[in-house]
Amino acid sequence: MPKRGSRLSCQRFKNWVEERYDIEAVKKLARHKLVPINQYEIWYYTGGIAMFLFILQFISGMVLSFYYVPHPEYAFKSIIEIVTKLNMGWFFRSVHHWGAQLAILVLFIHVFSTLLLKSYRKPRELLWITGFGLLKMSIFFGLSGYFLLWDERAFAAVRVATGGAGNLPIVGGLIKGFLRGGIDVTGDTLTRFYAFHVSILPVLTLLFVGIHLLLVQYHGMSIPLSAQNKTTKKVPFFPNVIYKDFIIWLVVLGIMVTLATFLPPEIGKKADPLAPAPENIKPEWYFLFLFQTLKLFPGEILGLNGETIAILLIACGILFFFLIPFFDRKSNRGEPSPVFTWIGIFYTVYFIVMTVIGFLT
Amino acid sequence: MKINYSLVTRRTFLNTLFGGWILAFCSGSAYALFKFAFPTLGKEPDFVVLKCDDFMNIPPNSVKPFAWGGKLGLFFKKADNTTVALKGVCTHMECNITYKPEDKKFYCACHKGWFDQNGKNIEGPPPKPLEFFDIKVEGEKLIVAKKGFKVELPKV
Repeated sequence: MPKRGSRLSCQRFKNWVEERYDIEAVKKLARHKLVPINQYEIWYYTGGIAMFLFILQFISGMVLSFYYVPHPEYAFKSIIEIVTKLNMGWFFRSVHHWGAQLAILVLFIHVFSTLLLKSYRKPRELLWITGFGLLKMSIFFGLSGYFLLWDERAFAAVRVATGGAGNLPIVGGLIKGFLRGGIDVTGDTLTRFYAFHVSILPVLTLLFVGIHLLLVQYHGMSIPLSAQNKTTKKVPFFPNVIYKDFIIWLVVLGIMVTLATFLPPEIGKKADPLAPAPENIKPEWYFLFLFQTLKLFPGEILGLNGETIAILLIACGILFFFLIPFFDRKSNRGEPSPVFTWIGIFYTVYFIVMTVIGFLT
Repeated sequence: MKINYSLVTRRTFLNTLFGGWILAFCSGSAYALFKFAFPTLGKEPDFVVLKCDDFMNIPPNSVKPFAWGGKLGLFFKKADNTTVALKGVCTHMECNITYKPEDKKFYCACHKGWFDQNGKNIEGPPPKPLEFFDIKVEGEKLIVAKKGFKVELPKV
């Protein structure tokens, strides 16, 4: 009898909803969501993986914030306590760390595949722009989260990163002061970065992910130019594609947990503003290409500060990258655009090579 | 609707009024938010006062750190027993430097910058020499001041 009762209440609940909302329309929408199948299919999944990792980051971050104390005296200690005294604390800190690394890796793969397949072309410019914003936010998520550790390396890294922003002409001083909350990296910077990490960036990220997803639904998946002329087969998103999504997410989850278990991130010495910078400091891997680029420039070029010139050039390079959908007119007309293929290859290769060199030296 | 002797329609008038109100509200809020979010930047100190005994007796060819505001200051006794004070912050990217007594050079580990013992940038990316301070001994007190800054002794 209880079985029958539960089925009845299930039916009643269904009726209750259906009397109030047009569920049939939603079901129809879901049935009609089709995804093209072509040889580039694999790149379609990178966005989904990123979203999955973001969800995990939100969850593990929420529980970590129960115990983390954003104060220069206690921050470091609270993390030590999380990983040594709390139930499963080591696991969640490690998962949060590796989830962040993987999310940024996947986002870079996502953005470079979009670049090379020219999925940014008309009418999808806004997708590129929101995606670019999300990448920038994720990197800032990474930097601010790394700093919360309040150890020597994080301290030096944030000094260098915020100091680098200070090298921009005109607005540099303003940005640096805003990020640091003062003239130097102090406890004020810690509370600021905490606020960025746990309140400002998450809200902005949700907003941007929301827009990004809506736009994907609106435009549908991009079909690369070279695959457009062939008769494109389409499969329903539910269930064909979502099942594949689930399979890949499960694999990613496995990789993340394995890394988190066997390679927990190190914790250095507590930051001391008066201690010398630690030997051989290196920024997080996703900053290495910038770090290596800065190294290419001498201290002085024709009497000007080499650092400022380097940072200006990098800023121009990133701005051009951001505006590629507007420069690539041929792709927008649906014609092959070899110049931008080469530009895309250049950006991708430059990023990979510089990151690898930075990693090895 | 426009009354004969009116310059604008009622719609334009109302739109301008509400638009102006919203604009004033938004810009006022933005200004207040910006003012609050942007910190009042402190500045580096003009001078700091240290205890003479703590610093003058360090062995030659070594440094001792002190706090220059929130930054690192280094009191440095050269091998020939002359003493100087300098800001222990690399001129490249603001990392703290360290003194290598065996090379008689200052070294920044962040990007491998080197300075000689007079603070001149000799190797690596640093664009400028290190900043040196004036030092003065007043009885028990060691006064470290910005170059050229006149310390009024009563204030000390």
